[in-house]
Amino acid sequence: MTNRLRVLRAERDWSQADLAARLGVSRQTVNAIETGRYDPSLPLAFAIARLFGLAIEQIFAPGDEVAPALAEPWPLADR
Amino acid sequence: MPSNPLPPPERPTRAGLASPAESGHGGFHTARDAKNARRFNLWMLAAAVAYLAATAALRWRESIPAVSPALQWVLVGAALLLAVAAIRRYLLFLREADELLHRIQLEALGLGFAVGAVVAMLYPLFELLGAPELGGRAIAAVMLLAWAAGSWLATRRFSGGA
Repeated sequence: MTNRLRVLRAERDWSQADLAARLGVSRQTVNAIETGRYDPSLPLAFAIARLFGLAIEQIFAPGDEVAPALAEPWPLADR
Repeated sequence: MPSNPLPPPERPTRAGLASPAESGHGGFHTARDAKNARRFNLWMLAAAVAYLAATAALRWRESIPAVSPALQWVLVGAALLLAVAAIRRYLLFLREADELLHRIQLEALGLGFAVGAVVAMLYPLFELLGAPELGGRAIAAVMLLAWAAGSWLATRRFSGGA
């Protein structure tokens, strides 16, 4: 996944530690998400979206690893 | 760009997000993780001391008259109880851990278990080929070392080797 977390954080002039404190996670969690080494859990993604007042998909986007799957038609869509 | 005036004062209610984030341990621990880790370490220390005391008492029970059979049972029982308490503290630490720390610990536990299982199953074959015999303690030590190595490797991976 890719994300805009670093940009959003910088717009508010927050450090990684500031953001981590607001989310209740460690600074390294924020760092790992920003650098794309770690994808957050769904509850944490929702918490991030709520914190920035955005929808999850405005912050996170699927990367190459899931894009082919998203391009496939949903198996149950026709039923 | 969205204008979000201030972050909400209330934190998300998910259990894993319930403590303020005070970065410790290289930024991988929240304040709650640090507290839980300290408690686990204390219980581990107590269990290790009890284990050493029980081992020494049983090894030299013939030469130390004060070590009665009842005391031997008490020492072994204490070591067992403290070990169980330490396991419980570790599970609490894991359950409440920051989600990245949780992931790191799971990877480390996976590596420790896998290496321990492989060594336990395959090393007897090497013993048949003439390698020195290893006891159960050595295999447990290998598991612990693999767990520590896994923790280091996963930490390094998620922090970019920094």
